[in-house]
Amino acid sequence: MMKLRLGRVALLFCVMLMYGISRSASVPSKDTLLGVAPEDEKYYKGWSSSGTIKCKDGSKKFSKSQFNDDFCDCPDGSDEPGTSACPNGKFYCKNAGHVPLFLYSSRVNDGLCDCCDGSDEYDGKIRCPNTCWEAGKVARDKLQKKITTYKEGVIMRRREIEQAKLAIAREEAELSKLKDEEKILKGLVQQLKEHKEQIDKAEEKELLQKEKEELERKEHEESKLKESKAEDNTEIIGEPEKNDIYDKDALEDNHKTVGDPEISDHTNRVEQVKEDSLQDTEQKEGDFIVDGKAGPDTGNQEKHVLEDTESLSREELGRRVASRWTGEMTEQQSKEVDTSKDNDPQNHEEKLEDSHDEEYNGYDSEDVEQRYDDDDDREDQMEECGEEDHDDSSSSYKPESDDESHLSDITSINSQTWLEKLRQTARTIFQTVNIFQTPVDISDVARVRKEYDESSSKLSKIQSRISSLTQKLKYDFGMEKEFYPFYGQCFETKQNKYVYKICPFKQATQMEGHSTTRLGSWEKFEESYGIMLFSNGDHCWNGPDRSLKIKLRCGLKNEVTDIGEPSRCEYVALLSTPAVCVEDKLKVTFYALCCLFFYLPLCWNCCFYSMSEGKLEAKYEEFDDHDEGKITEIGILNHE
Amino acid sequence: MKLYAILLFLFFINSVFSWKKDEFRNCNQTPFCKRARSRKPGACSLIATDVSISDGDLTAKLIPKDKVQENLDNQEIPIVKPLVLAISAYQDGVLRLKIDEDQSLSPRKKRFEVPDVIVPEFLNKKLWLQKLKSEKSEDGLGILSVIYLFDGYEGVIRHDPFEVFVRESGKNGKKVLSLNSNGLFDFEQLREKKEENEDWEERFRSHTDTRPYGPQSISFDVAFYDADFVYGIPEHATSLALKPTRGPGVEDSEPYRLFNLDVFEYIADSPFGLYGSIPFMISHGKSRGSSGFFWLNAAEMQIDVLGTGWNDEFSSVLMLPSDQKRVDTLWMSEAGVVDAFFFVGPGPKDVVRQYASVTGTPAMPQLFAIAYHQCRWNYRDEEDVYNVDAKFDEHDIPYDVLWLDIEHTDGKRYFTWDRLLFPNPEEMQKKLAAKGRHMVTIVDPHIKRDESYYIHKEASQKGYYVRDATGKDFDGWCWPGSSSYLDVANPEIRSWWAEKFSYENYVGSTPSLYIWNDMNEPSVFNGPEVSMPRDALHHDDVEHRELHNAYGYYFHMATSDGLVKRGDGKDRPFVLSRAIFPGSQRYGAIWTGDNSAEWDHLRVSVPMVLTLGLTGISFSGADVGGFFGNPDTELLVRWYQVGAYYPFFRGHAHHDTKRREPWLFGERNTQLMREAIHTRYMFLPYFYTLFREANMSGVPVVRPLWMEFPDDEQTFSNDEAFLVGNSLLVQGIYTEKAKHISVYLPGDQSWYDVRTGTAYKGGVTHKLEASEDSVPAFQRAGTILPRKDRFRRSSTQMENDPYTLVIALNGSQAAEGWLYVDDGKSFEFQRGAYIHRHFIYSDGKLSSYSNMASAGFGKFASECMVERIILLGFSPGTKKALIEPANEKVDIELGPLLLQGGLGSSVLTIRKPNVRVTDDWTIKIL
Repeated sequence: MMKLRLGRVALLFCVMLMYGISRSASVPSKDTLLGVAPEDEKYYKGWSSSGTIKCKDGSKKFSKSQFNDDFCDCPDGSDEPGTSACPNGKFYCKNAGHVPLFLYSSRVNDGLCDCCDGSDEYDGKIRCPNTCWEAGKVARDKLQKKITTYKEGVIMRRREIEQAKLAIAREEAELSKLKDEEKILKGLVQQLKEHKEQIDKAEEKELLQKEKEELERKEHEESKLKESKAEDNTEIIGEPEKNDIYDKDALEDNHKTVGDPEISDHTNRVEQVKEDSLQDTEQKEGDFIVDGKAGPDTGNQEKHVLEDTESLSREELGRRVASRWTGEMTEQQSKEVDTSKDNDPQNHEEKLEDSHDEEYNGYDSEDVEQRYDDDDDREDQMEECGEEDHDDSSSSYKPESDDESHLSDITSINSQTWLEKLRQTARTIFQTVNIFQTPVDISDVARVRKEYDESSSKLSKIQSRISSLTQKLKYDFGMEKEFYPFYGQCFETKQNKYVYKICPFKQATQMEGHSTTRLGSWEKFEESYGIMLFSNGDHCWNGPDRSLKIKLRCGLKNEVTDIGEPSRCEYVALLSTPAVCVEDKLKVTFYALCCLFFYLPLCWNCCFYSMSEGKLEAKYEEFDDHDEGKITEIGILNHE
Repeated sequence: MKLYAILLFLFFINSVFSWKKDEFRNCNQTPFCKRARSRKPGACSLIATDVSISDGDLTAKLIPKDKVQENLDNQEIPIVKPLVLAISAYQDGVLRLKIDEDQSLSPRKKRFEVPDVIVPEFLNKKLWLQKLKSEKSEDGLGILSVIYLFDGYEGVIRHDPFEVFVRESGKNGKKVLSLNSNGLFDFEQLREKKEENEDWEERFRSHTDTRPYGPQSISFDVAFYDADFVYGIPEHATSLALKPTRGPGVEDSEPYRLFNLDVFEYIADSPFGLYGSIPFMISHGKSRGSSGFFWLNAAEMQIDVLGTGWNDEFSSVLMLPSDQKRVDTLWMSEAGVVDAFFFVGPGPKDVVRQYASVTGTPAMPQLFAIAYHQCRWNYRDEEDVYNVDAKFDEHDIPYDVLWLDIEHTDGKRYFTWDRLLFPNPEEMQKKLAAKGRHMVTIVDPHIKRDESYYIHKEASQKGYYVRDATGKDFDGWCWPGSSSYLDVANPEIRSWWAEKFSYENYVGSTPSLYIWNDMNEPSVFNGPEVSMPRDALHHDDVEHRELHNAYGYYFHMATSDGLVKRGDGKDRPFVLSRAIFPGSQRYGAIWTGDNSAEWDHLRVSVPMVLTLGLTGISFSGADVGGFFGNPDTELLVRWYQVGAYYPFFRGHAHHDTKRREPWLFGERNTQLMREAIHTRYMFLPYFYTLFREANMSGVPVVRPLWMEFPDDEQTFSNDEAFLVGNSLLVQGIYTEKAKHISVYLPGDQSWYDVRTGTAYKGGVTHKLEASEDSVPAFQRAGTILPRKDRFRRSSTQMENDPYTLVIALNGSQAAEGWLYVDDGKSFEFQRGAYIHRHFIYSDGKLSSYSNMASAGFGKFASECMVERIILLGFSPGTKKALIEPANEKVDIELGPLLLQGGLGSSVLTIRKPNVRVTDDWTIKIL
């Protein structure tokens, strides 16, 4: 899309070469000012009348013969810029064609070529060829490339920010509207509820009446034996409805729960783990007491431990001892325990989400996708921009289905209509249905109930949408909301046997086959949005809780690279994203390139930068002897 | 409920973090130890008979006294066979005592004698005894046979009761060392089972030791006369002066155990056995000086130091001189023979030299090996290696060696590489080597039992593994899982192993790669006490119990030999070992194993390193920072400041710990650690000179204060401070946020702070302000220290840098010092290719003399100059110096004592004297 105009670049080089020549001519000869930076040349010309110069730190002074004489006279190294005599010294190499460099004095004449111009090795022990031109070219190319990326990235970022701002505004508007609707709907539901309750009461009355009559009739016909059977029946029928109470019981009394075949799988699993971990810990408890040097009464426990390791197979014993150093096996164990710990919040979460969905959608969550499709037309209007972005990025950039997708159902443009409709229906019901009438009209009853069910389910959907929107909007999406598109996205990358899944604002995991390790939950941005931090991940044996730091780099695609674990259980990754392609960085890069072109030390004020109407301009300011700046426009790095 | 599970889990984690005491046997669970310890003084009934001279030795038989009577009466062969005793004398005051079963009576089995420990040259120092002097004992009751030992010393055997001792010459000469004075000698001879159902098996936890040869232990008491303290017998994490383990006021204490063990998270004060065993004890006392006792035996040993008064209730039974102060000790071993050496001293350095004459002096290391090493379990991959390497450069911190732990291998198969993580090991080493840096990889003795692994295939085909009691290849568990262990006690196998280090065999190795031997106790995760079963079999059917403590030594030896072979005999090897035995000093460096990041472990590292030095292992150090756990920043910095003076200076960390490279703790702490490392590089010329001194004499690089100040009682139990050579005193700081630090400076001369040049009086304890910049270090008055003040990436680039000499005058305005220089890597120095200068300052003149022992064929050339001479303790009026033979006058000016990190104090400095370090010259201070 964008290309540098090569002709212009070539022009730049010409100017640069000319500059280089004129410059080296004006510099005093190499021998006298070896290792001195241009900005210091003045200092080294300032010999006093007695032929000395004060050390820069003012502590001492040195004479001409002591300057660069391979003996350290100034504690700050200012008399020896060109030798290794002072440990604090800095050696400057010009590196014409590449970036100039300050070296530690420890590098001067140490037999290794550090300056690309070879100026740090002058004692004749080795020869360092001048490689600045090649190295400079590599550096320039790299910077050029970076600029190209940045230029495009800056634009992408701007676009995303605009869209994010729109989306946020829309969501905020939606939120406030939903809140209004919630208020109305609440009233409506309340009314319907009252209605329904009255109907229920009337019905109950009727029923009671009938039952009473029937009972009286039957009493005569049935024997006492059959009575007891009837009692049994009611109990059985009643059971499913008693579930709530049952659960409570289960909590209060474990034994009962364990013995009961009817508890759900879920409970069963948790119970299992709990038991395991209890066993584990029991045995460890023994260990601990012995190890803890509990004192004179360790006898029994010691025996207990002895028996314990003795019962192990040789191999197990080997593994167990090895694990003290590595934690491998114990980690497995601890993983078990961990999962019991982790499963829990997760299960919990799942459960919450489930119930959430149920509340919200009013139907089985499996139907979500289908329903989603049905609502496509309405959806499109909303999600258009987001989708486009997704297409751009790599396949690993996946939307998470759970958050964004189900909102459509109630929050379409014409939502006003359905609300109005609902109100209308309710109104008719209030008008037409006579709740005080007995016997109750069956069809009226059904209508009231249906309306009540529908509107209360709508209400709960709205409420859950409100809460999810509120939560989402609370997140810190960056100074300019540039990270808004990350919400609900996950980035995946594969490294060796692991697949890493990073979901900003949510969590990061590492998967190996079917086992998943949580590297951390979303914590925050750090270093002015340069780093994403996930913390409090799964615990590490003998180590900290896992955590993940993601450094953000400007790139045209959202892509995770270079994930690693430099310190135990502290993971680090790189994410390239347009979200951090800020213009300031582009400026800095541009300056660096500009400096490379003009052999200058990093000179923030000698190259000017402007980016307007898609044009990059380079201006170079040259200082003459009287410090008067003269701006010369050298060229324009343009793009088409 | 869940919370409960988590709590229990944490509980469990906690329990992992401590020493598994119950996994190791204590003395009571060790039958031979329990038996020996319960024996009463005077219990030994052996007497010496047939005392005579034969083959230049004194020989005798030991038989039970009551049996003599029995024999006379019954004319029957005694049930207890006589033991054979031989005493020989060696040059320089070494008496050797051997006691074994009588081979002519064909015992069940030849008991094991440890081969390849005594250096061949020692045997040439044997004195051929000619005559035996007989005399009556002091009390007139017994007969003594006396031999000449050394000028002023005699070896004596008392016949009844049997006792061997060394005394100062003359009938009433003071005793120096004695064996069996307390009558605790016991020697269990090999025999048949008494009855069919006699149970010889020993059970410990789930392990059964079949003990096919039954009880065969040996124990005896050794007394050190005129001793205030005893030292040595490493390796224990404990004080330098050994605390009594029995006697009045000592309760429930264990003896010092010598049994090479891989102890997980050892504690910082315990007589418990660690990774190495050196059964050499040295005594010291104000009235006489030092003496030493060494028992060459590789079986498990337990040693009691008996507190004064331990045998008071038996004093009537024993005939011990009461006028002489004494430290008694009890030595117990599970198997082997008595092959014991008495060293007469009388100076501490004499004892150390005498011991070194038996087991050898420390190898001369390459220069890079005594610089700073950077290690971690594990630098994960090549990128990690490059990053760490680059960071050292970025922060201008020198280092010489980067280490790779077990994870660099392909599934813990040593000599292989995990090619995912290290695809180009040669290139990686070459890149480091281009900066003058070296690399070390780990090679352990356990071999993965994997048919596709060439080492295993060969070793199992050739039958090179240790066998279990049933004769099958022993199969134990270590890092790779199921593993077998090379029988390195066999010289043939060692030589096969050594070949594996050739560049062709070790794929991915280059000349800048050196080796680390870990787990060579040997560590067997599922073995008894995390080691090998004692009934496992080595070549010649030697039981593992007989040579256990030497296993790691042989492995170290084989590896070191491998590196010599690899380099065609031209490159000095570097091999770090964890397990040690007498003689290990000849094969490389050792470290104190898996310590912890705790102040106590920093504290105990000093006595541990000092003790190792006293017992020959001069080249040692503790993991800087502590292996287990995360040191807090202050501890880490202090550890660098102390560790910079360890002979072996390496930062290391467990893989569960946070990264702790020196630049990770903020600019200020980076600077402090950089300065600590710089200090080491600054003193490298001095350290190298000391390593050469150790190589020639056995006198260690770091020394306890009493070694240089044997008359100063205040130093005898001081193990917080230590001397580097004879010239530098270093006082560690071992507490958090220390405000003050007390330093005892021995002797009557002054000491100069190495940073400020401030003089402190000797013989006084100074209370100094503790500075975060460094731990206190002082130069002794009367010494001259060589330094190199320019810092480079590594020691390699310092080769041509100029020297600084620091002269610290003593009260008589004199000083002396040495400088040893060679090529830093080859064996050419053995042919005379080195310079050894002796600097002497006296009568207002500094002169440089050659200290070459003899003119060799080799020549070593150096262009290095002396760039600066610093004068401490001179009168301030000193103005000019005259350099001869150049006959040049130079100004003496004020300059900094340290170029970096100094406190800006000015000292008299001769600027650029322009003399070469190889030349003879004189500088006159005018």
